[in-house]
Amino acid sequence: MDCGRLRTLVRRFCVGEENWVDSRTIYVGHKEPPPGAEAYIPQRYPDNRIVSSKYTFWNFIPKNLFEQFRRIANFYFLIIFLVQLIIDTPTSPVTSGLPLFFVITVTAIKQGYEDWLRHKADSAMNQCPVHFIQHGKLVRKQSRKLRVGDIVMVKEDETFPCDLIFLSSNRADGTCHVTTASLDGESSHKTHYAVQDTKGFHTEEDVDGLHATIECEQPQPDLYKFIGRINVYNDQSDPVVRPLGSENLLLRGATLKNTERIFGVAIYTGMETKMALNYQSKSQKRSAVEKSMNVFLVVYLCILISKALVNTVLKYVWQSQPFRDEPWYNQKTEAERQRNLILRAFTDFLAFMVLFNYIIPVSMYVTVEMQKFLGSYFLTWDEDMFDEETGEGPLVNTSDLNEELGQVEYIFTDKTGTLTENNMEFKECCIEGHVYVPHVICNGQVLPNSSGIDMIDSSPGACSREREELFFRALCLCHTVQVKDDDQVDGPGKSPDSGKSCVYISSSPDEVALVEGVQRLGFTYLRLKDNCMEILNRDNDIERFELLDVLSFDSVRRRMSVIVKSATGEIYLFCKGADSSIFPRVIEGKVDQIRSRVERNAVEGLRTLCVAYKRLVPEEYEGACQLLQAAKVALQDREKKLAEAYEQIEKDLILLGATAVEDRLQEKAADTIEALQKAGIKVWVLTGDKMETAAATCYACKLFRRGTQLLELTTKKIEEQSLHDVLFELSKTVLRCSGSLTRDSFSGLSTDMHDYGLIIDGAALSLIMKPREDGSSSGNYRELFLEICRNCSAVLCCRMAPLQKAQIVKLIKFSKEHPITLAIGDGANDVSMILEAHVGIGVIGKEGRQAARNSDYAIPKFKHLKKMLLVHGHFYYIRIAELVQYFFYKNVCFIFPQFLYQFFCGFSQQTLYDTAYLTLYNISFTSLPILLYSLMEQHVSVDVLRRDPTLYRDIAKNALLRWRVFVYWTFLGVFDALVFFFGAYFMFENTTVTSNGQMFGNWTFGTLVFTVMVFTVTLKLALDTHYWTWINHFVIWGSLLFYVVFSLLWGGIIWPFLSYQRMYYVFIHMLSSGPAWLGIVLLITVSLLPDVLKKVLCRQLWPTATERTQARNQCLSVEQPTVFMLSQTASGLSF
Amino acid sequence: MAMNYNAKDEVDGGPPCAPGGAAKSRRPDNTAFKQQRLPAWQPILTAGTVLPTFFIIGLIFIPIGIGIFVTSNNIREIEGNVFMYYGLSNFYQNHRRYVKSRDDSQLNGDSSALLNPSKECEPYRRNEDKPIAPCGAIANSMFNDTLELYLIANGSDPTPTPINLKKKGIAWWTDKNVKFRNPPGSGSLEERFKGTTKPVNWVKPVYSLDADDDNNGFINEDFIVWMRTAALPTFRKLYRLIERTDDLHPTLPAGQYILNITYNYPVHSFDGRKRMILSTISWMGGKNPFLGIAYITIGSISFLLGVVLLVINHKYRNSSNTADITI
Repeated sequence: MDCGRLRTLVRRFCVGEENWVDSRTIYVGHKEPPPGAEAYIPQRYPDNRIVSSKYTFWNFIPKNLFEQFRRIANFYFLIIFLVQLIIDTPTSPVTSGLPLFFVITVTAIKQGYEDWLRHKADSAMNQCPVHFIQHGKLVRKQSRKLRVGDIVMVKEDETFPCDLIFLSSNRADGTCHVTTASLDGESSHKTHYAVQDTKGFHTEEDVDGLHATIECEQPQPDLYKFIGRINVYNDQSDPVVRPLGSENLLLRGATLKNTERIFGVAIYTGMETKMALNYQSKSQKRSAVEKSMNVFLVVYLCILISKALVNTVLKYVWQSQPFRDEPWYNQKTEAERQRNLILRAFTDFLAFMVLFNYIIPVSMYVTVEMQKFLGSYFLTWDEDMFDEETGEGPLVNTSDLNEELGQVEYIFTDKTGTLTENNMEFKECCIEGHVYVPHVICNGQVLPNSSGIDMIDSSPGACSREREELFFRALCLCHTVQVKDDDQVDGPGKSPDSGKSCVYISSSPDEVALVEGVQRLGFTYLRLKDNCMEILNRDNDIERFELLDVLSFDSVRRRMSVIVKSATGEIYLFCKGADSSIFPRVIEGKVDQIRSRVERNAVEGLRTLCVAYKRLVPEEYEGACQLLQAAKVALQDREKKLAEAYEQIEKDLILLGATAVEDRLQEKAADTIEALQKAGIKVWVLTGDKMETAAATCYACKLFRRGTQLLELTTKKIEEQSLHDVLFELSKTVLRCSGSLTRDSFSGLSTDMHDYGLIIDGAALSLIMKPREDGSSSGNYRELFLEICRNCSAVLCCRMAPLQKAQIVKLIKFSKEHPITLAIGDGANDVSMILEAHVGIGVIGKEGRQAARNSDYAIPKFKHLKKMLLVHGHFYYIRIAELVQYFFYKNVCFIFPQFLYQFFCGFSQQTLYDTAYLTLYNISFTSLPILLYSLMEQHVSVDVLRRDPTLYRDIAKNALLRWRVFVYWTFLGVFDALVFFFGAYFMFENTTVTSNGQMFGNWTFGTLVFTVMVFTVTLKLALDTHYWTWINHFVIWGSLLFYVVFSLLWGGIIWPFLSYQRMYYVFIHMLSSGPAWLGIVLLITVSLLPDVLKKVLCRQLWPTATERTQARNQCLSVEQPTVFMLSQTASGLSF
Repeated sequence: MAMNYNAKDEVDGGPPCAPGGAAKSRRPDNTAFKQQRLPAWQPILTAGTVLPTFFIIGLIFIPIGIGIFVTSNNIREIEGNVFMYYGLSNFYQNHRRYVKSRDDSQLNGDSSALLNPSKECEPYRRNEDKPIAPCGAIANSMFNDTLELYLIANGSDPTPTPINLKKKGIAWWTDKNVKFRNPPGSGSLEERFKGTTKPVNWVKPVYSLDADDDNNGFINEDFIVWMRTAALPTFRKLYRLIERTDDLHPTLPAGQYILNITYNYPVHSFDGRKRMILSTISWMGGKNPFLGIAYITIGSISFLLGVVLLVINHKYRNSSNTADITI
């Protein structure tokens, strides 16, 4: 408390802002508290306007421009453009201004349109009517006029206009149901509770008469956390203080359900609502391709600068003789002559920069963006990834990472809901060592419900009959399941007999499975009414238990409890939780029998829970109650205090039994994992589940095989030996085999011979991760651990807290090789690792949509990961790799002749090509074919990629953007440029190429080079295209045709708006000359020859797996029997 | 795209939509394009497919090359029309300052540009407060040597007979008739150029370049030829045509000739050289062995590569198959 106050003081002192305090005080209904109360600092709150738009009408242009030019590439082009404007440069500013203008405008229009949509949505939000209570009357106002402290009425199916403290509802028990579908995607109904003292206020007048203040924390984005308290002032006595928690808070964006109306008081409005605070943009992830693209850019920037430097220096060397600098026929102006030498040299340098600046093209960024944006549609369109059951298809939340899907080396997957269906089924329960199986299939026939209890071990004795019923009651009571009221006609007054058709809703599917399972065993949970839980027992009698307290579940404690009071007045505490968290707190019961059963079930892959109880005498209950109350009212460290209170209450339990719930594997999960492993991807399972269950799942989904040797790094083992010893021992085992492995892998055999699987649990992990005191060898364990992991084919991490999942991902992400990681999960507990990994994938599952919302891509089922990575990822990667390389290549081809020409024009920055060609080369002559290639290319067909996962290894480690490949493309570009330039040079040198003896000038020379170039780079792409649809034909031949038509037109007219007519008839005259045709054909052939040769030779001598597959598919029809035999051999050897 | 929030979602997402209706519309269309299953031709560059191409290239290129080479080498003989060129070396007509130093509007007969030439023409834009026509460095440095060719008849008659050198037809037709135009007006050429002055280095003004009105002023062909800037510092330009008079005699019969050069044009100052070239022209222009040799070379290389590939293909076919098996 002191600390907090100090902080407040410091903050106030430093910031000088009065309203920056840790908590805020709200006068409900704007009524001042009675004079005796503590005085508060009045604070100012924003109104209830939601502003999601970035721009206003006035600041759009400057702000948007500023945003856009913050991108380094745009800024570079702006500088080039400005240089062109300021100094006398060889190319007109139009050549770089036009593309830049185009890019900027398109982006601005896109962003402007998006912002306009946001404005529209905002104003729709801000103007929708809200019911206020003012002076005891209901008033309608626009939502944006809402102020903190206003009392609001919300009707059924309306969304809450701001964050409200729930005062009362029309229900007598002061509850309401809410869905938060638009907040976190969970469509299940959640119950919220009104403040105890105000839940009786049912009319406007009542509510208006309320005199209270609310103290609560300043707004913070966590949707599930809220701490506050309410002081209700009565005339006669001291104010009543009540704690407020997130169960009293109704969030903006949530919708009221199954409740006629509620009253609430606004506490956070407008941009301070929790929903608005959650609108921060996610941190930007960048793909490996983008990173290497940036590296290449830097290389090209260096090339550009060095070219300009070389030319500038040579220019001044060459000019040192005055007759060259200023021959009689080519005099300078007086102003030029008088310019300072240094300034002149600098201007020359800039002019060369401008001349060569096209080597880094604006259009590359546009094309890459378009490719990613448009390409991502293929993912969402994919029919194979559409799930019929849920009606969901894949979602693309960011298209920036498409190609990263083809680069994944590590997959971290959640177990529940991701590998498994999260479709829980109650399998059995074990009470005092007796096993009960509901609804068992016995000898092929389903036993009827009533007699569905099958005693496997032995029939229970009379005394245990009581225990058994207690157990079922415990399961019926100890949960947070809600009963969905099927109809609105008689929700509360429903007859108990119809209870059988109850639909249970819970955030945890386990609970639903348990309650449903118990229903089959004869005990039906009916509903929670007036704080009384009603259950229907085997004799069809309704038993009522007053619900005194719920000690809710959390992932640290891994258990939950309820305190109930039976009709006879006995107070019970029922506790249910993971075995590890229950057993230590048990003092009585058949622990050993139950433990062995639990362990057996866990090995079979079932999820087990233990149930325990304790009877509380009223004094004990009073004590517990006080503990809880004290913790709940606390404004600071409430979580911690609550945890402590729970700890104290949940002890000395009597063990009743255990339950087992089956979570079936997702369809084709094993197949998917197998394929991914064949693709060279290491799959790690990270789960909160216990080791045995998780390991069983791993076996089931073939992550571990029968031959896999399991290495355990668990708490149990560390207890026996020191961590140090265990780690060294494991690494010795692993390294010994990897030593022999290298010999094996040399002979080309697969690595299945020594298959290691590692199992590690959360506690052991945190020991490894913990930095040790003696700084010298810290991090040593990590290295060792990583070394072990690297040599294991599969790793299972169990008992992981959400943050530990992220920690593991981070550990691998920043290990030596910097592998590309992918995290996939479906629940809120996976969000941290989804955000941490290079690629985060959410499974649109049962545990809400939080994972899907925070992910980069979301898929309906785990099995879709296979196609997503092996097919889409592969395609995206090869497409964008070619796109990047090709762009640099074609611009080397474009600019290098320009550079060479400087040696023949006295380094005067004379351009080789006409301005129109300079401008349009990247924009229109060569832009569409590569864009289309990067959208459509399929070097092998979809089916082949899916059938043969090993092809994925061909592109691993950014294979197509390695330095070797980059250098090859660059040299190819240089070679082609040399061919274009010197080919044209030797043709033009000192002779005529027309049949009428007339001569061609420099523009014809440039046009010839340009024509050869446009054809060469387009045909080069055509040679690289392996998938010729009619669209490819259309675009490739179409863009060549466009070039010819454009050139004919451009040179065919005296353009009145141009100050020069240098291209007049140049192209047509060129085409009228025979040698020009011959030259064009020759030069194109020469330029393409080496690339074709390289391709053919590489394919013939060192074929990659992909190329082999391609060839195999080609001759499939011819050599079908052979291929069939081959594939059989292959599959035979891989096992 | 990275923005997490879209107010639209909230408005739409308010009431939970019925899953049944939404599911149908969400289902992607089963079109070949969207499923990336458009029918396509899937060629692969393998030795097998490329081999014939190499041979075909070889088979086509070598004959073409030989044809070109022979044509090019035959050009020496002085038959048919003979073309007379002058050549300059070390003359940077392609210098940027030089290339842009012209005003195409002025040359196209635009009256306003005639009297107010473009700034690009500096420092050859105005002289003594009068606009220069034609302005700019290119025009100013026009080649002004005169070349005359005489034939000394065999022994008996020592008086040289002048060869008829045709001045017209040396410039592009489009340049002469469209791109270059004299300023409009009805009077004499001199009147039409009134108010302008001649380029500094010129002896005569532009309107007295030639007696023939059809070859005078901006449409003088020598001028037009000069104005088409050469691509390289060593260049030649067409000077005159020597037309064949009749089929029986060669255009330039064997004998002694006199070349009379009126030397006006200084080239020493920039280390330049002048040349005069007489040449006939084939369908593929003047003599240039490059194209022929290149075709022959590329054809042979391609043929050779074809053979090499054939060998490789034959040798590695089996081993590549065995490699498959060891996977």
